Formats: sequence, structure tokens, C-alpha cells
Amino acid sequence: MEGKYEFEKKFRDQVLRCSSCGFCRAVCPVFGLTKRPAFNARGKMLILKEVMDGNIELGDELIETLFQCTTCASCSEQCPSGVQPPEIIKQVRKDMVHRGTCHPAFEGMNQILQEHTNIYAEDEPEDFERERNKKAEYVFFIGCVGSYREDEATMATLDILDHLRADYALIDEVCCSGALEDVGFEINERLAEKNVELILGTGAKAVITGCPYCSRTFNNRPQYQELKDAGMEIIHISEFLKDFDFGVSTDKVVTYHDPCDLGQHCGIYEEPRETIRKIAPNFVEMRNNRANALCCGAGGGVRGAFAKNSIAMARRRLEEVEEVDAEVVLTECNSCVHNLNNARLRAQKFKIFTTTQFLNQLLKEAE
Amino acid sequence: MDTTIKQSLKEIVGEENFTDSLIDLIAYSRDSSEHGHRPDAALWPANTEQISAIMKLANLQKFPIVPRGAGTSLAGLAVPEQGGIILDLGRMDKIIDVNIKDRLVVVQPGVVYADLDRALAPYGFFFPPDPASGAVCTLGGNVATNAGGIKGAKYGTTKDYVLALEVVLPDGRILHTGSKCMKSVSGYDLTKLLVGSEGTLGVVTEITFKINPKPPLISTAMATFETMEDAGRAVNQIMYSGILPSALEVVDQQTLIAINQNTDLGLPEVEALLVAETDGYTKDETEFQMEKIIEIFNKNNAGSVKHADEKEMAEALWTARKSSYGVLARINNNLIVEDLAVPISKVPDMLQAISDIARKHDVKMPTVGHAGDGNLHPVICFDGTDPQEVKRVEEASTELFEKVIELGGTLTGEHGIGLAKIPFMGLEHDEISMDIMRSIKRLFDPNNILNPGKMGLEE
Repeated sequence: MEGKYEFEKKFRDQVLRCSSCGFCRAVCPVFGLTKRPAFNARGKMLILKEVMDGNIELGDELIETLFQCTTCASCSEQCPSGVQPPEIIKQVRKDMVHRGTCHPAFEGMNQILQEHTNIYAEDEPEDFERERNKKAEYVFFIGCVGSYREDEATMATLDILDHLRADYALIDEVCCSGALEDVGFEINERLAEKNVELILGTGAKAVITGCPYCSRTFNNRPQYQELKDAGMEIIHISEFLKDFDFGVSTDKVVTYHDPCDLGQHCGIYEEPRETIRKIAPNFVEMRNNRANALCCGAGGGVRGAFAKNSIAMARRRLEEVEEVDAEVVLTECNSCVHNLNNARLRAQKFKIFTTTQFLNQLLKEAE
Repeated sequence: MDTTIKQSLKEIVGEENFTDSLIDLIAYSRDSSEHGHRPDAALWPANTEQISAIMKLANLQKFPIVPRGAGTSLAGLAVPEQGGIILDLGRMDKIIDVNIKDRLVVVQPGVVYADLDRALAPYGFFFPPDPASGAVCTLGGNVATNAGGIKGAKYGTTKDYVLALEVVLPDGRILHTGSKCMKSVSGYDLTKLLVGSEGTLGVVTEITFKINPKPPLISTAMATFETMEDAGRAVNQIMYSGILPSALEVVDQQTLIAINQNTDLGLPEVEALLVAETDGYTKDETEFQMEKIIEIFNKNNAGSVKHADEKEMAEALWTARKSSYGVLARINNNLIVEDLAVPISKVPDMLQAISDIARKHDVKMPTVGHAGDGNLHPVICFDGTDPQEVKRVEEASTELFEKVIELGGTLTGEHGIGLAKIPFMGLEHDEISMDIMRSIKRLFDPNNILNPGKMGLEE
């Protein structure tokens, strides 16, 4: 049956295949927080079935649920019927935008990337005290959050790369704009072209990204295919670091938060743990880890559009840190670090870092 | 629904705990069954007093109230068939008391089964029924359906653990049933009457469960059988051998074929595969039981028998059983997880009948089940957009339940009647029995406001 929306053409079978078992309730971070079935993947699929049946339109009253999904894909992992709700929801958002239905925060994000080079509309990039656009073996691609919000974490990563004597270059990077695909829009071709040109200009053999989302975008989006065609490998910093020994360690109890973009979406669970176990023998897992990890609440545009719930989701994740009495939470995504830190209560004495940030501290202490 | 009624409801629960948004009405229109109907509004009550006030209003204004937990019902128990108000109890999710000394817990209805399990684990205790939806289903829903699970043969079902209930009646009065004692025969057993009453008699707002110490060790074995007859005889002999397995599950040939077609597990496509588990406090204890079971497997011409005496090794033996739902759920657009039970000795006859009926009506009905307690789940996979196929499924279902009753079985072992089994109620329950059930309903709910249209109670 030919539907009127693109999502029906692409995902009709999947939407129908949802058997409404409700098993996604166990893992959906938005449902876990709100206990509102309309926000759960099952609720969203039921709504889309009614759209496909022609009972309702993809109208404004659906924004609150269809735009409130972090796209963490925990539901896909749990689904006995093999439905992948985030993929469906991303297409639905595009259909909604196409008919003029959109959350203002998402519209704003697209607008900002039309006019600026990053999601924060900040025109003065951090300096990071490194020469840019030079010839090098690797390009280190920072990402927006690392450039404009978590610059200390980025500085630490660069220090580690220096410590390892890696031959890398920074570029005058612009937003990879991959996230636009999640919030109802398309990758910004102008920005993608600029990144591709600058990366290729360094003559590097590989791109190391500080942000797992950028790594996903470069690896999977046709706009960045040229990088792969040029034989370039694109890896996340956690994949790069796992092969090194640092000769430092901590007695502290350390746990690890799996970012959705690295774990669920790229299947990278063990590499960060390899590095962390080397530097933190007192490593503990949180109750929900790896494919079952609870999302920090920042993804899929939710932090921008539903800030209060986004922070509350991060709080729920931090409750799991308390359960295991960890003193340090490490993760591999600046966006997770940012959201978790914003959510941390004063009474919660643990610290939240990226692995490189923590590692760099240990190296500095050892000096 | 009248706006003044909506306004009154908002005053009871607070504006933020009332919704008549389209997205919520749709999300609450269905459970895990094939049935659906939108409510007029939904509420997230916070306590018993609010629910009492809601019921008083509903009884006065005569609008339906449908209590709901996680909405995992496979028989339509949570579908607001006649509209009205969904009472979502999911936010009443506190474990009020874990009382190991008295071997009981007190919980609100919205506590998720798995959360209780996690809370009890440090004490070495558990609440055994273990429904397949345990990661999400709520304990209030377990009580309303008298939920069972994989451990039924040894540990029974929800009803065997409910000691006491707090229930809001349709007129708003708050009823307390049962006691916190392990034994009580004081008056009519209102607790048992309410367990499994599918939200038609009262709204459960607090539950006191008996809990069990959890044996720490298990032993597991899997056996294949070329013929269903051999497997059935093995099940039977195990169940009267004096050994009580903590699980004894069957997977039929259609399921094994479906799993093989959709995965690379390469399972043997025999007529039946059995998985047995024994539990205990010492290895001697679990292995003594398992050796007897394996002896019975072998005596009944088991093909391959695999045995894992440790928890870590057991996973592989469960693969066929545990992957079945995930595979069957992908076969077609629609899925009905049927539920029936027969006396244990009739399990092979029933499995044979299921296979014959499926073939006769050209319907896919792979079957798994809890062989140890006679509770089977034929899983009907079909395309609901094909009217011809839907008709064949309906005909097959009718014949299926006629056969169940013929074998001395029952329409449902653990999913309930809800909407799905109403057409078959007359097969199992005679006029006298229906008359008494309807009288009980009228006694509790004279205005028929609580989960109306369920269980075939309406004449």
C-alpha cells in the first residue's frame, strides 16, 4: 500500500510489525522518566499506525511525543519484533518538517547551521593552541560540544595525543551537521563540503574524532563518502587509545557510561573499557551497561527541545552511579559529559569526565 | 465526555495528572492484544484516596473506569472497550515494605515485577511467578490477571502469593481483604476472588505478597524427541516421578522450523524439544533431581540430551525456548499469543491437535509452553490486513478451544479472558456458573462502571 508520507513507504512493515508487547518500557529513557506510555516506542508506533490508517494527520499535537525521543535505540535492542523505532522516528520528523510541523528548537538548529558554522552559533572558535590545517598523519576532529562547551576535555585529549607523540592536525572544522538528520532536516551540504575539503587537505590517513556522533556521520553519510573513497579510516578517540599503555593508574572506584552514539549505534563497548581497566583496576559496571545502558537524555535534539526532561533523564542515569558507589564516571562523548555534569547534584560527590580528561589528570599527577 | 466531569477529575488528581491529549488516547487504546478502543481521558492517580474519589464520581455519573498497569495484556484486559477513563496506576510504584522476618512484601500496584525481584535479591528471596513480560509488567496487573510464568509447575502462580489486598470498590469504599498471616481462613476468601478478576470488581491499590527464599543453584537439561508422543510421555513421567522441576518447557517442530528459517541457530527440527530445570541449595540436590529427569528423557527415546550443571552453561540450552518469541514476532504483521491449559497428561494430545488444526485451516501456529503445568501457548502469526487469513485464524481458534474443553482443559492458564476469549466462555462455563459470576459482578459493581465489557459478564 502506497502511503502519503515517506515513512510509510520506507517503514510501513516495521510499524505494523510492532506487536505492542510493551517491552520497550523497560529501557526507554523518556518513558522511564515520565511513565507516560505515549512517549514510549510502543505509543509512538500506535500513533503512526493511526497515521497510516488515515485516522490522524502528522500534526502539531504529535510533536510532543515524536520529537521527544533521544534516538538512543535502546528500544531497538529490546524489541522482540526487530522494529527500529529511532530510524522510523527520524523519517517521521522529516515528513513532519516537510508538511510544516516542527518543534521550534529543531527549526532553530537548522536555521543556525544555515547561518553559522556550529550548533551554538558561536563565531569565535576556541584556539586550542595548535596549528591548524597542517599536513599530518591524523586529523583530530573535535566536534561542536568539544569545541564550544567541553573545551577542557578537548584540551586534555590534545595533551594525550601530544604525550603519545601522535602526528595530528586540527582543522578549521565546522559542524558535521549529522544531527540535523535526527531532527527532521538534511545534512548541510555546504558544511559537509568544507569539512571534507579541509580533512583531505591535510593528507592524513585517518580521522580521529572526539565526538562519537561525528565519527558516525563521517562513516555513514553519503556527503562524507569522499573521505572513505580516499581510503581514510575514521575512528573515535577511544578506538585509537586502546592500543597504548600509559603507566599510570588510580585507586578510585571508576565506572563507565556508554554513550548511545558509540555503543548502541557503533557497537563500540569494549575498547573504552580496555583503556579504563588499564588505568582503573577498581572498575565497576553500572546496573545498565553496554547495550542496556541508560541514555543520558541529551540525544535526538531532546536537550534543546525538552531541556527539563533531558536533565531529569541524566539524573536517573546518575542514580545508577550512586548505586555502585563510584567516585569517577567516565564516558566517551562530550555531549554526555555535558548533560551529566549539568544534572549532577551538589550532594553527589563523584566526578564526571571523558576518559582522556581523566587519563590526562593521572599523567599530570605522575609527572 | 462532559467537560464538567473532566473538570472534576482534574480537581481530584491535579491538572498535570489528567490527559485527554490525542497522543495519550491513542497510546491507551491498546494493550498487547489485537483489540483496541480509545478512552475519553486518562488519569495518573497518586494514592488510594484519589482513586476512591474518582470511583465515587464515576459511580454517580456512570462512566467507565479501566485500571491499567503496563498494558501487556495479551487478551485485551486493559483495552477501554466502552471508552471512559483509563486509570494508569504506573506511577503508584513504591515498594512500601520488604519484611523478611514475616516473609512478605507490601507494594503499590505500579511496581514493575523486575524491580521487586531486584529489591528482593540481596535478601536471597524472590517472588516466583516469573511472567515472560517481567521486565515491564506491573504487580497490579499480575494480580488482576493472576499472572503465571515459567515456574508454575513448582511454584504456582500469582494467586498462591497474594496474602492481602487494599481495593477501591466501584462505589469508592476502600476494602481490605486477607491478612499478613501465612495462614488465614477467616471469612470468605475475598483476596482470591479479586485475584484474576481482571479489574472488573475493584481497583487494587496495595498488595501484600508472600515471598519465597530463592534456591541459589540450578541444573538444566535439554532433550530432543523425534515424536511428540515420546516427549509427552517423558513430561508425564517426570511430573509423577516425585521430582518437581522448577521449569519444564516444550518447543514444537513448527517453532524450531521458524527459528531455523530466521536465524542461523541450526536447531534440530524434531517434533519436540524439552528444556528442564531443577533448583536447590546444593549441587547434590539439583543433580539428584536432574539425573532422574535425564533418565526419563532417555527411557523415552530422547535423541540428543544436553546437560549444564551450572547457571553460566545453561544459557545455550535455553536458546530455542527463549528466542522463540523474538522469532515468531517477526514472521508476520499480526501475532496472537494464545493461552490454554490442559491436564498434564493431555499435553501430547493437545500439541497434536494444535498441529492438526493449524494444517487443516492453513494457519501458522507454532507452539511453545509450560509442559510441566499443562499450559501451552500456540502463537498465531498472520497478516491482519488479509481478510481471508483473518477468517481462517478465527475458525482455527474456535476449533482450538473446542478441543481444549473436550480434553478437560481450560480457556486460559495465565492470560485471562478479557475480550479475546469472550466468544468461548460458554464452552467452559455453564449457565449456573455464568449466573453466579454475573451476580458477583452486580454485587460489587451494580452500575457496571469498572472495566465493562470484559469476561463475557454482560448479558
